[in-house]
Amino acid sequence: MKSIRILAIALLACIVLPGTLSAQLYKSTYFNVDWQFNGIVGNDFANTPSGWGMNFEGGRYVTSKIAVGLYASFHTNNKYVEPQVLELSPSSHLYTDQVQSVFQIPFGALLKYRFVEDSMFEPYVTAKMGAMYSRMSSSSQVVEFYDEEWGFNVQPEVGVSIFPSSSNRTGIHIGIYYNYSTNQSQCLLYNMNGLNNIGFNLGVTF
Amino acid sequence: MKKLLPLLLLGIVLTGCQKEPDWGKLSNDLLVYTHHDTSCDFSQYNTYYLPDSVLMLDDSEKEPRYISVEDPRARNIVESIESEMNSRGYVEVHDNSRADIGIITSYIKRTNTYVGYDYPYWWYDFYYYWPFDYWDPYYNGWYPYYPYPVTYSYTTGTLVVEMIALKEAKKESQQLPFIWTACMAGVESSNQVNISKAISGIYQAFEQSPYINHKAQ
Repeated sequence: MKSIRILAIALLACIVLPGTLSAQLYKSTYFNVDWQFNGIVGNDFANTPSGWGMNFEGGRYVTSKIAVGLYASFHTNNKYVEPQVLELSPSSHLYTDQVQSVFQIPFGALLKYRFVEDSMFEPYVTAKMGAMYSRMSSSSQVVEFYDEEWGFNVQPEVGVSIFPSSSNRTGIHIGIYYNYSTNQSQCLLYNMNGLNNIGFNLGVTF
Repeated sequence: MKKLLPLLLLGIVLTGCQKEPDWGKLSNDLLVYTHHDTSCDFSQYNTYYLPDSVLMLDDSEKEPRYISVEDPRARNIVESIESEMNSRGYVEVHDNSRADIGIITSYIKRTNTYVGYDYPYWWYDFYYYWPFDYWDPYYNGWYPYYPYPVTYSYTTGTLVVEMIALKEAKKESQQLPFIWTACMAGVESSNQVNISKAISGIYQAFEQSPYINHKAQ
């Protein structure tokens, strides 16, 4: 159901927003609505890559090549772990299978630089900076251990916007990013001292 | 304030977009949780007494209901515990006054207690539990004593096996020390005890408790 909901939101945004907003937006404004594929790196917890996320960003070109704006995204990475005995303390042991999960919502401000303007192919680099909410959890069939934290987030990104022509500004967006946040979480026997992610976004730009 | 409202709504929407775990995959296996008294030397005990029945705990019932070993479900559970204790060098006795260890087995058939807590007297929400004068009329009015922290959420379909050091009964404080607790969740299928899962849970509980061993002496 979650996947269907995410897909429905993405499709709705792709179909409705460009038409409704184009009349009132300045030419110098842009929006990206993307499906997101993300993997956690540098940590064994919930490090199975997944496509359960979306990215939203919008900005305004303050010069012909430099834009400032806002971004927000969300992502879930889940990993099933086979049954094992965990030593919770010297006096207690737990045998269980579990689903490890990390849910992230980074958001903040961005600075974008496009190398060419009003072209069919517009490669760009973006620096994003802001805050991130994260929820680290380990779920078994009867109990869930979790930790919610906030941290500082930075996210460099490179990508390209592809338009059907130089005058039609509704096109496709592809971006590759690295995402780091300072969130420190502890859940069951697992610790995360900062969160590192690598992923890509694929969606529409208008 | 009105300008913040869209941001607040966006936050709520994004927070609700978390992908949930695959619960169907998780429910295929057991959860076994064991606690023990780390100061206890389990090898010092020689004999144990195991009642020939399992107590069914249901927080809607006011009278205790024991399922005897004439019921094959209870018999399989009791025999599994006997098998594990015997293989570890303990001798079963049929006179509880001669036993060093008492072992009680309960099955939580229904409960509304879902919240985890660091309070070991988990059975206080039920109208009844194993009475302490079961072991000896002398223990009437005595209290249990857990020398280790217990943090667990007891739910419907949990088998609980507890080990009491009868040899260590504290006359001054009128306490019976519980030295081992094993909780096996997920042993119920279609409102019935799944015997194969219950037995697997008992074996796993002993497997992860190697200190329960008289042979180590």
